[in-house]
Amino acid sequence: MSTAAQTQSGTAIPLARSATFRTFALVFGIATPVLYVIADMMNWPLFTYHPGTNRVDLGWAAAVKDEGPAMYWYGWSATTLLGAAVLGGLATLLPERVTSRIPLWLVWVLPIAVLPVLIYSLKFFWRW
Amino acid sequence: MGLMPEFVLDYVSVNTYWTILFIVHALLAVALLGALTHQAASVLMPVRVGAGTGGFVTRFRAVHGASYAAAVSVLWIVTFVFGAWIYTKYRMYVRIPIEQAGYWKTQGVFELKEHYATIGMGLLPIYWFFWRNTRDPQYDSARKWLTVVLCAMCWFIFLTGHVVNNVRGFGS
Repeated sequence: MSTAAQTQSGTAIPLARSATFRTFALVFGIATPVLYVIADMMNWPLFTYHPGTNRVDLGWAAAVKDEGPAMYWYGWSATTLLGAAVLGGLATLLPERVTSRIPLWLVWVLPIAVLPVLIYSLKFFWRW
Repeated sequence: MGLMPEFVLDYVSVNTYWTILFIVHALLAVALLGALTHQAASVLMPVRVGAGTGGFVTRFRAVHGASYAAAVSVLWIVTFVFGAWIYTKYRMYVRIPIEQAGYWKTQGVFELKEHYATIGMGLLPIYWFFWRNTRDPQYDSARKWLTVVLCAMCWFIFLTGHVVNNVRGFGS
């Protein structure tokens, strides 16, 4: 490193030296934006929360008349993080010669790449 | 309504309870924003060794970025939890009036904010890993740009929350 601001060495924390954790975290990070867009666009919440009654339904459920709105964001987040964890876990089973070829730039490019899709998914709100 | 334990009402009013939660959420967000902005500045405009103490900008970007990684990760998670908590109240008592007032774009941007809050959660493990391996040059580029992207997301999330609070904040 050529800078004063970035001279920290590696670490004594075993997790930070683990190739298995690296694979898990990398795939988890790559999968999250993709799975979130899918969960949002396909409307696949793991559960639905009804804040008016504090009721939770498994999967997608419509708002109940006179009981307030239904909330899906918690369910989309759960679908995404659980799915990404499963994919990350499965990726750790792959040989290192495969996982070492996963492009690192995907972790920062994909969150940007999904922006137009997410904006499109919110077209209901873009009213003038 | 929203997630509020009944026993709390023995000590504070409903409004006070949600106001405390919101202020904690906002203060955590300020800390997260500051940490990520320092860190992003340190990777975008690194200070060369021997550059001296310099002025405010130099000192701002001369932080030891790696020492922020764990704090940023924890702050993002805790801020997310508080945000998710007060969101139960928001959905009933803020979003509905915002829609009734016709502030559709404001609500749309808020939806985008919540999307990116979750996406940011998914990026934290690899972000932390990159910053714990700063001596490994293969991670330099990904660490730099992931930090910048997370910082941009944090600014967007923060400012959106601020604007929505201005539109229909507590006490309104």
